[in-house]
Amino acid sequence: MLLLQLNPIADALNSSEWVFPIAECFHIAAFAWSIGMIAMVDLRLLGVGVQGSTPSQVAKSTAPWTLLGLAVVLLSGPVLFLSDPRMYLYNQSFRFKIGALIIAIIFNYTIHRKVALSDSSSAGARAVVGVVSLALWIGVVFGGLFIAFA
Amino acid sequence: MILAFFQWLESTDMMTFIRGSALTYPVIMSTHLTCIAIFGGMIVLTDLRLLGWALQDRPIADVVDGFRWWKRLGFVIMVSMGICLAGSKAVEYYPNPYFWTKLTLLALVGIHALIFRPIVYNHPEQLDSSPITPTRAKAAAAISLVLWTAVVCAGRLIGYWEPPQKQQPVAVIQVEGRTRNQ
Repeated sequence: MLLLQLNPIADALNSSEWVFPIAECFHIAAFAWSIGMIAMVDLRLLGVGVQGSTPSQVAKSTAPWTLLGLAVVLLSGPVLFLSDPRMYLYNQSFRFKIGALIIAIIFNYTIHRKVALSDSSSAGARAVVGVVSLALWIGVVFGGLFIAFA
Repeated sequence: MILAFFQWLESTDMMTFIRGSALTYPVIMSTHLTCIAIFGGMIVLTDLRLLGWALQDRPIADVVDGFRWWKRLGFVIMVSMGICLAGSKAVEYYPNPYFWTKLTLLALVGIHALIFRPIVYNHPEQLDSSPITPTRAKAAAAISLVLWTAVVCAGRLIGYWEPPQKQQPVAVIQVEGRTRNQ
């Protein structure tokens, strides 16, 4: 805790009024990008979107773009966090968001991936996975935004 | 005249309610952002397909037609939420340069649609019949990606702008000998 209070990184981040807003622009553009790509797979699992394509085609095609977006999100996120670690750690919305984020990422690269890439998965399994994935990521977005209002 | 309209808009019962409720405003904002992610994803995937960077094994027509009505639905939800957000703080937004930047970029998105709909998006099957994707389709996709990214960034920056502080009387302390020492 003491380490977090005497944080030279926070001083550097807070020394310019532009670092935080620019990092946040990257964070937001990239979260829209990566969650948008995952949502395209979810919608395909629910039967919406590119007609005639299988979920596995959409999943394979979007995978590198999702990863690129997530990389930018996961690099810019800690920059935002380190600007004021104590505020974030004690923020209920932040804790909720990080919890949802960890579950969402694990879900995305395990069950979600398995069901999306399998062309023999049942319609029921696809629908459940699509809905759970959308719910998790929407939870992350709401949690993230509520940090500023909590 | 615009300011008068903004003052009236902000004073309506609905906008007053949005501004006054602790939960309504952030929920609308979260919905706005969720729409950006989901419907923005449709725009991005369509653009990536036009650029030949995703779903290359599917015809462009399938991608464009598959998302057309969903994108329109998303746009309506996103803009409605946006009007609620801006309208409830209209007078505060009026002098904000990022707000006007965002509106200008959205106007450019409209011009993009006027130019590229007739020659790209309304006839995707023509793009598929060409052996390589025509340059006009790739240009439409690239410009779309740049414009929407800029819209998102301008939108975020609205929250960072503060009106210039009114000039406060400045206390002038003269230090004896300071000028001589410098």
